Amino acid sequence: MDPLAAIRETFFQECEEQLAELESGLLAMEGGDQDPETINAVFRAVHSIKGGAGAFQLEALIRFAHVFETALDEMRSGRVPITPDVLKTMLRAADVLADLVRAAHDGSETEHPLASGLVDELKAMSGQAADEDEAEEDWGDFEFQPMAAAVDMPEAPAGPAGFVVKFKPRGDLYAKANEAALLLRELARLGQTVVELDAHEVPPLTEIDPEAAYLAWTITISGDTDEIAIREVFEWVDGDCELEITKQGPADGGFDMASLLARVQDEAPAEDEGPAVVPANAGEVDVASLIANLSPAAAPEPEPAPAIAPPTLSVVASAPAPAAPDAAPEAQAAGGPRKSEAGATIRVDLDRVDRLIDLVGELVINQAVLAQRVMEAGLARASAVAMGLDELEQLTREIQDSVMAIRAQPVKSVFQRMPRLVREVAAMTGKPVRLVTEGEGTEVDKTVIERLADPLTHMIRNAIDHGLESPEKRAAAGKPAEGVVKLAAFHRSGRIVIEVSDDGGGINRERVKGIAIEKGLVAAEATLSDEEIDNLIFMPGFSTAAEVSDISGRGVGMDVVRRSIQALGGRINIVSKPGKGSTFTMSLPLTLAVLDGMVVSAHGQTLVAPITAIVETLQPKAEDVHSLGGHARVISIRGGFVPLIDVGMALGYRRDPLEATQGVALLIEGEGGSRAALLVDAIQGQRQVVIKSLEANYRQVPGVAAATILGDGRVALILDIDTIVTVSRGDMRKAS
Amino acid sequence: MTHTVTLGDALDMTAAAPLVKELLGVRGQPLTLDASSVRRLGGQCLQVLLSAQTTWAADGQPFAIVEPSPEFTEGLALMGATDLCPISPVQD
Repeated sequence: MDPLAAIRETFFQECEEQLAELESGLLAMEGGDQDPETINAVFRAVHSIKGGAGAFQLEALIRFAHVFETALDEMRSGRVPITPDVLKTMLRAADVLADLVRAAHDGSETEHPLASGLVDELKAMSGQAADEDEAEEDWGDFEFQPMAAAVDMPEAPAGPAGFVVKFKPRGDLYAKANEAALLLRELARLGQTVVELDAHEVPPLTEIDPEAAYLAWTITISGDTDEIAIREVFEWVDGDCELEITKQGPADGGFDMASLLARVQDEAPAEDEGPAVVPANAGEVDVASLIANLSPAAAPEPEPAPAIAPPTLSVVASAPAPAAPDAAPEAQAAGGPRKSEAGATIRVDLDRVDRLIDLVGELVINQAVLAQRVMEAGLARASAVAMGLDELEQLTREIQDSVMAIRAQPVKSVFQRMPRLVREVAAMTGKPVRLVTEGEGTEVDKTVIERLADPLTHMIRNAIDHGLESPEKRAAAGKPAEGVVKLAAFHRSGRIVIEVSDDGGGINRERVKGIAIEKGLVAAEATLSDEEIDNLIFMPGFSTAAEVSDISGRGVGMDVVRRSIQALGGRINIVSKPGKGSTFTMSLPLTLAVLDGMVVSAHGQTLVAPITAIVETLQPKAEDVHSLGGHARVISIRGGFVPLIDVGMALGYRRDPLEATQGVALLIEGEGGSRAALLVDAIQGQRQVVIKSLEANYRQVPGVAAATILGDGRVALILDIDTIVTVSRGDMRKAS
Repeated sequence: MTHTVTLGDALDMTAAAPLVKELLGVRGQPLTLDASSVRRLGGQCLQVLLSAQTTWAADGQPFAIVEPSPEFTEGLALMGATDLCPISPVQD
């Protein structure tokens, strides 16, 4: 990858982190967090995005981020009160900012449909003139004192690293809604400035063209700054002004490429870095200076960095900092928190982790093969080899767990996308909704996380669109107008459970059953339990909305959700209380890489049943098994009857059912808590198997979730228990 | 008599043209500009004010900017135009 593209990529990665920070900060504030540091963090996030965007000349992003940042600054300084309405606007602005970042990343930087409206809202909020496009900030927070100090001392000598900036705007600069005064103000932030105004071109009032530009300025800047930082101030007005920057006095320090790269990658700057790379607002500058350094022409020959700026100068230069409220947090953004993070994390290509995980998978298989060989060789269990092998097995498992932990991520990354979805759907449906999230820190394998977003999105849409009642109905039912959708994640018995619940009206069972009958999904005379009715909504072709709505419609029903969850080796079910709401519960494996399985055989084939689905195993007694006609059988277990499914038959290995007493039954619990007994020939044992996707290597086979390689080198199929049960149940219905 | 014009709160680019019009309307008489409610000052309005200052001087009429708000003073300082309105304004 060429270096610029790599830095660009890093910028966008950081943008994602900043956006996450931004949203969680705003949400925390919505939840009543009054900590100034939260507001600062939010401001910094937008500020950093703007800074990077400036370096890459992402115009749409810069403009929007600028207005957004200004509004946040107003909020930070207390001039815009932090009210729920203000925060809602900010959150929507965060959404648009996220879109703009992604658009910029894809290179499809176009106008965002919502951007201009929000820009107006933000400007109205922060008192920015609505018709000024950018570069308009409230000047109230600019403390006068530091400027006064600079102006009062026109004789102050220029510092050793001084610059003289000659700046003459053209009419276009103002026409494009830029403001000379603001550019001067930005310059003033870079160091101590002495501003000289040249107004000799200003004509008498009768001849003046209010749209034209007559003024020119000569600004002398001293202090720790560099030309890149100065140029950056003028980057938006490049071409709309005459600009001349000349260096005064001794040279400032050369750039250290390695330390600059380190900065971009969140590493602490090298200690011997020259002052030039620590400009006043380093947060904005680092990427820009990097880019400048990448083009060899622009890179100054490294010169010895000046020892340290003279003490007197540094005192003067740093004097404005306490007075200017912006300076301190910016400095913090550039230095403070990043430094502390630097040692804690590293970025690694996912490919490398995936490869490691694959290799560890092979190691697990290999270890199993070795164990098998040792057993076949007839060595005693207490033999040194066998004991060593046991230790190896434990170690392998530990390695595997640790490697999996590398790829494990908190579900936060998916949960974070949901507040936005909720806001959008709430706006579309006109239902006020509050999203409550719990257990965002719950970790699960990245491969699972990636595939969680779609089903979750659909379920949340569904919960708001169909689950929650209209505000009027809620009021009539004595509920608060604002509906609550709760998203919770937690670990339970080696799986991750994700619940999506709403406090709506619950499932209208009469209606659901009516529709199911109408659509021919169930027989009209069928007697169904409440739970069975609730689960009807997962049937293909079922949709309770009388008309396909814009939001949850789209011809995709809950059956698709269930299928995608099942494809992850998960289960989903619903519990609904009339008038109180519904709760969808998804239970998913923590990883798609390994599985604890029960190795069984059916008609000479070795199969693996996921152990999480198995409740118990039992030896069927003849008197407990009852035939229902055809091949359908049920088995009586502790007073209840559950279907007995012959796995060999279900997978087409044999035509005639196995005599129940000759096999072993696995009592399994499918989705929705429904039970069934799987009849297999024998149980071989229990072991952890490495999942090899069948779809990736062959194609999807109904009733088979994946494959694995056993210790003897043979391929064994992993059963998709839910599908087997569902298909068999269908066969049973047909048979009966 | 001295004519007093109160400057608007946002002297940005959109305010420049109306300001020219307003000032031309009171030309030929002593002028006092009240800058107490100015919250921001942009380059184009500064041009107009500077132009007005020279125009009034050419006309031989008194011209003063009084009661500058801190933001106004700061704007002048930023743009190096503190001469337009001395920091300690003299009331007339």
